[in-house]
Amino acid sequence: MAAVSEPSRSALREPVRARPARPDASMSLLVDLSVDALDPGYAAAAARKKAAGVPDRPRWALVGLTVAAATLVIVVAAVQTRASAPATAKSRTTLIAAVDRQSATVDRLEKSIAELSAEQAALRDASLASTSAGAALARRIAAAELALGNLPVVGPGLRVTLGDASASSGNSRVLDRQLQDVVNALWTAGAEAVAVNGQRLTAQSAVRQAGDAILVDFRPLVSPYVVTAIGSAVDLETRFGASRTAARMRGLSQLYGLRFDYARAGRLTLPAAPDATLRYARPAPAASPRGRS
Amino acid sequence: MIVLLAVAVGVSLGLVLQPTVPLDLQPYLPIAVVAALDALFGGVRAWLEAIFDDRVFVVSFVANVLVASLIVYVGDKLGVGGQLSTSIVVVLGIRIFSNAAAIRRRVFRA
Repeated sequence: MAAVSEPSRSALREPVRARPARPDASMSLLVDLSVDALDPGYAAAAARKKAAGVPDRPRWALVGLTVAAATLVIVVAAVQTRASAPATAKSRTTLIAAVDRQSATVDRLEKSIAELSAEQAALRDASLASTSAGAALARRIAAAELALGNLPVVGPGLRVTLGDASASSGNSRVLDRQLQDVVNALWTAGAEAVAVNGQRLTAQSAVRQAGDAILVDFRPLVSPYVVTAIGSAVDLETRFGASRTAARMRGLSQLYGLRFDYARAGRLTLPAAPDATLRYARPAPAASPRGRS
Repeated sequence: MIVLLAVAVGVSLGLVLQPTVPLDLQPYLPIAVVAALDALFGGVRAWLEAIFDDRVFVVSFVANVLVASLIVYVGDKLGVGGQLSTSIVVVLGIRIFSNAAAIRRRVFRA
């Protein structure tokens, strides 16, 4: 980069000393930058030529080549920028499309899992029904599956609705903790089966927040959240209404305008939960009655 | 005339060939662009001040690009490549600006 020197034609060989020493000489970077903007070499070359008396005949080929190279660099940069700008947008839309496609695949596979396990259960029941011991076993399996949440169930119960407030302040949204509390209060009140927005909850279900969405079993749900619980409708309503969770939710709904209400329902239908996959738990070796075949 | 021709050649080469810069060289592209602009503006100003010299022009362009790329390369190795490349853009940008101002003064006498 530019050495420090004056671009005047006469003061060439005694560059720095000719100048009066400034007190800020060592800190004059920015001043030098703007004063010596022109490469000092030009002044030096001009002075040399003047001294030698050579006529000024630039080698145009060389100059032309350099100008062409410099222009090429600039054009290449411009072309590169133009080419890569839509590429980022394109990769984003491609990613979104891939996500959508994969979720559709997951949905399809889950549906086929449900169909296959229904078929498997039907076959198992058919083969067990031939003997009386098998029939007893089939009844036990059905009871266990009902308790596990592996079968769709119908029955009376309570429908609790939570919803974000219309105002968009930080406290106006339903949090995963509140949803968890409501679900737990319903279990405590004696619910036999619980679902949130049609997602059946089992012993392995998780209700948690991820960004703006509340995930139930890794499925994002949006407000309003309808928690349906099957059980004795009257008992559920009484106990849930008397629970601390309900009291707190009533307070929140008065303070921040969250939606919170619950009502008895004569007939609720809860879907089956997706099959539980146990990765680590296996039957204990002791001779205990086998649950599922 | 030759200069204009060279500009035309450079633009058409870039547009026709559409060369893709290898990924390893991409961090140096902005530096090369600023150094090229600096050399061009410096050359124009020197021409207007009647002290243009072909050797100085060529050497200053090549050397500026190389030194700037070297500084960015070293900065990359030290983990301050982005900052050093910003500093080069700032320094050369100031030079471009003052050269452009000098050209403007020459051309418009204002």
